[in-house]
Amino acid sequence: MAALLSMENVTGGYGDADILHSVSMSVEDKEIVVIVGPNGAGKSTAMKAVFGLLNVRGGRTVFDGDDITGWSPNRIVQRGICYVPQVDNIFREMSIHENLEMGAFLKKGDLSAAYDRVYELFPDLKERRKTMAGSLSGGQRQMVAMGRALMLDPKLLLLDEPTAGLSPKYMEQIFQISRDVRDTGVAILLVEQHAKQALAFADRGYVLAAGQNRHEGTGADLLADREIAEMFLGG
Amino acid sequence: MGILELLNFYVIPGIVLGSIYALGAVGITLVFAILRYAHLAHGDLATLGAFIAFAVVTAVGVSPYVALPVAVVATAFIAVGIDKVFYEHLRERPKIITVIASLGIALMVRAVVQVVWGVDSESYVRGISRPDVYFGLRIRDREIFTVLAMLAFVGALYVFLKQSKWGKAMRAMSDNPNLALLSGIDNRVVVMLTWVIAGGLCAAASVFLGINTELKSMMGWHMLLPMFAAAILGGVGRVEGAVLGGLIVGVAEELSVLVLPSEYKAAMAFVILLIMLLVRPTGLLRGKVL
Repeated sequence: MAALLSMENVTGGYGDADILHSVSMSVEDKEIVVIVGPNGAGKSTAMKAVFGLLNVRGGRTVFDGDDITGWSPNRIVQRGICYVPQVDNIFREMSIHENLEMGAFLKKGDLSAAYDRVYELFPDLKERRKTMAGSLSGGQRQMVAMGRALMLDPKLLLLDEPTAGLSPKYMEQIFQISRDVRDTGVAILLVEQHAKQALAFADRGYVLAAGQNRHEGTGADLLADREIAEMFLGG
Repeated sequence: MGILELLNFYVIPGIVLGSIYALGAVGITLVFAILRYAHLAHGDLATLGAFIAFAVVTAVGVSPYVALPVAVVATAFIAVGIDKVFYEHLRERPKIITVIASLGIALMVRAVVQVVWGVDSESYVRGISRPDVYFGLRIRDREIFTVLAMLAFVGALYVFLKQSKWGKAMRAMSDNPNLALLSGIDNRVVVMLTWVIAGGLCAAASVFLGINTELKSMMGWHMLLPMFAAAILGGVGRVEGAVLGGLIVGVAEELSVLVLPSEYKAAMAFVILLIMLLVRPTGLLRGKVL
């Protein structure tokens, strides 16, 4: 069976300079895949390439049978991929509920099923649905951001460093929620700085360096590899 | 001086003038928050609105209150048209280019008003209106209508922004434009709605200025500074802040006559603007800092 998402030899960058050099990766249905690597390796850039935020000059991206290379983010969202940026990923001056509503802006008709689904995943948010999102803690904001992205019922969720700046407790919680999200049938591709913890939790991982594929394998295999540990994971 | 005299000659005219400023400042604050530039043609666009109402009043012979909705709708269309013809092409350029372009539009619109209606003062209605006395307070009907109309316009806008899907989309675009675009909100619709509201309300502001004083081709330009002061005083992006700011600037201008020669009345807005930018640039209600 074909993968849900496959990037094939994608080359590109912002403006004229290439940051990614022939990067390939894939995500299967209901799989959690993590991209790790040193700073400046092109991890977030690879994710943005999937979402149409990059000038792609070579290779292609296929999602669920469609070649989505060169599609606008708007069209990609409607096709079933939602993206949570690393920073500025909520509407601060809108309530939690309004944040979710904006996430479902493109959806016609009754949204109650979508709200129920998100509030079931994030019971904390349901209690505070009228609270301004900007007044929440970092971990709760991340939940709002993920909830907003889940409102359109995507098949694939892209998370750009969801645990950046969070305490270990919240990091564990975000990972747990990601598993819960996966169990509802959503595949997840995420970029992580906390490589060890992320590899331990993900199904598979890709190690990028200098905009190129270095290693790939199951999370456990990558963690066990001495060379990778020394090069990228701080020994 | 007694309290009644203070209220009758300074505070009540200040609240009326402040309501007029508020109607203009709401549009300025929305354009600031969503399009992220200072719109210097706002005053002259308002003048055009007032003279459109004047044209209706003289042609059909109706009261300016009947002409008001016509002027509001017409100016809203003109504002959208100006955006499509001029500002839209500058959207991707640095914002200062649009700011300067809007100054050019201001001169253009003013020239149109002066060519069509001349440079002399005009009035909607000739004659003197006598105030009624309520518990010693001397209030004219037109003053009551001005304040009530401001509250109705702003109240309707507030409900629209809080309750409707596109109103929320406007707030989302003001709050976090990148995320709004990622959520699939169509920026073109949001920009158009912003101009409909800003254009319509600035026309209302100057129609009420014309009803309470007289019509002049520079009337809107002279309101520009107080309207900007009101928007920044209230907090950029805050509709309720623009109303509060407008009222404060209006009352402060009238009260300034107590201590300063009346020629310095217009400088009050400038003083308020300067103090606010130095002391609390986010405004009274925590707006954006641009």
